[in-house]
Amino acid sequence: MKKRNIVTKLVTCFDEVLEVTNQRVVYWRKENALILSDLHIGKSAHFQRSGIPIPSSILAVDLSRLEELIHYFKAEQLIVVGDLFHACYNKDLDTFKVWLSSFKNLSIKLVKGNHDRLQNRIYEAFQIEVFSDFLQIDSLKFVHDFSVIQSDAFTISGHTHPGVLIKGKGKQRMKLPCYQVTKYQLILPAFSLFTGLNTKDAPRGCKNFGFTESAIFEL
Amino acid sequence: MKEKGQKPFSFQVQTWERYHNNFSGMVIAPTGFGKTFSVFLGVVIDYLNHPENYKRGLKLIWISPLRSLAKDLAKAMSTAIEEIGLDWEVAVRNGDTPTNLRRKQERLMPDVLLTTPETLHLLFSQKKNSRWFKNVNCIAVDEWHELLGSKRGVITELAVARIRSLSPKLSTWGITATIGNLEEAKQVLIPNKEVKTTMIKAKEKKKIEIISVLPDEVEELSWAGHLGKKMSSKIIPIINAHNTTLIFTNTRNQSELWYQILIEEAPDLLGQIAIHHGSIDKKQRSFIEEAISEGILKAVVCTSSLDLGVDFKPVDCVIQIGSAKGIARFLQRAGRSGHSPFEISKMYAVPTHSLQLIEVAAVKEAVKQHEIEARYPYVLTYDILVQFLVTLAVGEGFKAQETFDLLINTHAFQWLTPEEFDWCIHFITQGGNTLKAYEEFHKVVLDEDGFYRVKSRRIAMMHRMNIGVIVGEVMLYVKYFSGGYIGMVEEFFISKLKKGEAFVIGGKVVVMKQIKDMTVLVKRSKSKKAITPSWLGGRLPLTSYLTHFLRLKLSDAITAKKRERELNFLHPLLKRQQEKSHIPKHDEFLTELIKTKDGFHLFMYPFEGRLVHEIMATLIAYRISKITPLTFTIAQNDYGFELLSDQEIPVNEENLTQIVSKENLMEDITASINASEMASRKFRDIAVIAGLVIQSQPGNRKSNKSLQSSSGLIFRVLNDHEPSNLLLKQAYNEVFDYELEKVRLHNAFQRISESTIILKRAKDFTPLSFPLKVDSLRGTISNEELGKRIERIQKQALKA
Repeated sequence: MKKRNIVTKLVTCFDEVLEVTNQRVVYWRKENALILSDLHIGKSAHFQRSGIPIPSSILAVDLSRLEELIHYFKAEQLIVVGDLFHACYNKDLDTFKVWLSSFKNLSIKLVKGNHDRLQNRIYEAFQIEVFSDFLQIDSLKFVHDFSVIQSDAFTISGHTHPGVLIKGKGKQRMKLPCYQVTKYQLILPAFSLFTGLNTKDAPRGCKNFGFTESAIFEL
Repeated sequence: MKEKGQKPFSFQVQTWERYHNNFSGMVIAPTGFGKTFSVFLGVVIDYLNHPENYKRGLKLIWISPLRSLAKDLAKAMSTAIEEIGLDWEVAVRNGDTPTNLRRKQERLMPDVLLTTPETLHLLFSQKKNSRWFKNVNCIAVDEWHELLGSKRGVITELAVARIRSLSPKLSTWGITATIGNLEEAKQVLIPNKEVKTTMIKAKEKKKIEIISVLPDEVEELSWAGHLGKKMSSKIIPIINAHNTTLIFTNTRNQSELWYQILIEEAPDLLGQIAIHHGSIDKKQRSFIEEAISEGILKAVVCTSSLDLGVDFKPVDCVIQIGSAKGIARFLQRAGRSGHSPFEISKMYAVPTHSLQLIEVAAVKEAVKQHEIEARYPYVLTYDILVQFLVTLAVGEGFKAQETFDLLINTHAFQWLTPEEFDWCIHFITQGGNTLKAYEEFHKVVLDEDGFYRVKSRRIAMMHRMNIGVIVGEVMLYVKYFSGGYIGMVEEFFISKLKKGEAFVIGGKVVVMKQIKDMTVLVKRSKSKKAITPSWLGGRLPLTSYLTHFLRLKLSDAITAKKRERELNFLHPLLKRQQEKSHIPKHDEFLTELIKTKDGFHLFMYPFEGRLVHEIMATLIAYRISKITPLTFTIAQNDYGFELLSDQEIPVNEENLTQIVSKENLMEDITASINASEMASRKFRDIAVIAGLVIQSQPGNRKSNKSLQSSSGLIFRVLNDHEPSNLLLKQAYNEVFDYELEKVRLHNAFQRISESTIILKRAKDFTPLSFPLKVDSLRGTISNEELGKRIERIQKQALKA
């Protein structure tokens, strides 16, 4: 597999500094953590069960991307802000389990998303620390989908699969995944490649950090 | 019948005889001449003579493309049967049939069943369905020309093939209007070599009168534009002079606008004029249709929604606004007026810009020469094949070899290879060729007895919901807060609308209040400013038949005879074109280079229709940018296309022949277009038909949310993970066959290579180039890489 071109950009969130990447994860150097959202593990198998043939290699690619990022940043923890799993227990989760066992010192914190509906003992078996509403570390507050933004904490969320539509002269249009950042919040792009882009529900006055395989830029 | 003083037409008698002698075949007759009774009475008469050949249950299956036709047809058939004194039961079965009636039919099928191709496939998905079809004597396909050129034609072929396999003595009859490829149409419907076939053409001809509506002065008609609002004052007198007038527009958007325009022009028409298009609520549409039949309405503004369907006796006049885009469509619409056999169909053509008058002249010429478009059948549609296999597996199950034999005996799948068939089997049993990857995939299971079956009730149910090939945009119902449906709009349109904004639908101004359960709740509004929804689709290109006549007409336009009203009227404009540049003769190809303050323009006029021009423009731009790298803005219409650049375009008399050459055509096209983006668009329908994307129904509360994904996403995923997928291949094929119109493109370049190539330089816009200049549909071709492109677009956006 060809080496990924990992590009980062520094973003200040209150008193914390985060590195947003063009690889759909944010690196938090202080905690040595990767922050990500919407992996939707089990989505392809869920589709297959319903008679819709979606290639399972989607998951393999997603996991190998994540693996590469963990090694690149030498991260010791993952903070997942929801939708780690897509549906009920299926064989994609076994694949994930095998993948997970190859890491010795990786801790996972999960803020539950609307798709995370597995029984608690399953999360325990995966040794995932689960937070049902939010997780706060210092001034950063991790939630799945933000409802109200408070000014006492910087909110990091996922859920919406944000994308940005770029329009040019002559009806040129292009959609790119992006991070949406305001003074008080940051919305992560979905990590899984088997997700669509939502270009509609952007928070008011947000900056969009769109990215491609080789670059990340403010739009 | 005879007692009523009706004498059969000779083609009807001929059909009865041939049917009696075990022929299958096609009946070609104009509407209003009793096509229905040719085949229908053929079966009845044969029954009266040989009742021993007919068993209990289904005898005649009558397929028609439209649900709305079925009810009236059934009534007419029942009346005839009663008069003859038979005890046959005639019944309708389609999506509108209530469940209790369906259950009753399933216990004992009627003698005659009027249905649609989709409903037949739904019947195939029921348990023990073959018992219903074992003794069918005849299957008749009405309006076959309407089905032929679409994917619905393929599902009709499959339905006929399956019923023939269950009832081998079946006769198949097609009933069609005149089309350019009748022999092929017959072949497609009846591909079986062992079946005796015949073609019966009615001698009776429908008389058609085409009248162009001209403004007082040629200058009053704009050179470009698409609405032609100024012509409204000419339309009102026509409406007043007739009983009922159908006013055809080309898009739903235009029909809404024209409805408003006419009411403004003649407020006394309010209440006597209605609007009818595909997005208006079904109930209201049938209400309008009834009102037309009863002669209550003075005029109806409509779209292709009224192209087909029940005959409206009171309609004695048709107005076509803008181009009908094809000869057949023009005639079809004209035929909606003066419906009884010997009446004259009257069609007023209202041009929306001046060049359209040449089109009217071209249609007249085509009618004179009896030239009409062909409808080309689809072949190797793997999406439909996959759907059909699952349908069979949901129903009674199927055996591989038997089904393969059935398929290669149809027209659509005669070239299907065993490998492709195996792929489809793999696809529905294991999800595709990448076997191991699909452990949880058990859509269709191979049983020990050699039958492929669907075991899961849930999958069976989901499949039944998905049968058919009509893939719509995601539509939402529009409903008053106080109750009462008005119609449907595309999600695409509503998503851009803000709460409280007003829009027009069905001629009513409403404001959006809320969206809930795939339904838009609205309130009436008095707002003067309202948006008219632009429903997607509906931009048909001119057909190649029409453009052929268009080129001929233009060729001798300047020396037109006195009788050619349209061309004479246009004379001042044509003269200006001749003076400033040139009017291309039929064996010439015109290119114009014009420099204005906007930049450097290149215009070419192949007269091949919008789609072909879009591809040609991209191709020519690509070839020019190989000489000098340039970025072009592209515009096209049905007559030609424009390339615009901020730098001088390096085209001259010497290299022009090379630039429009037919050499390396396909290679250059593949290099110049973004085939994967186009294929991704084509994949939308394919993904739904093949069951990869679950469609959500308007107004439906239950949406399979966790199973929702866009076809674009699946296209990308399959492209990355399973590039050999046949459905992907089909998407690319469809791009080349339908989007690029490969054959037509080849022919166009062949024609250009045989033409004299003429290059003219002009100081400002010519009558031919002006419409292109103002056309809003513009695209860009650029060879810049993604990052640079974004950077550039970003800069542009910042400036603006």
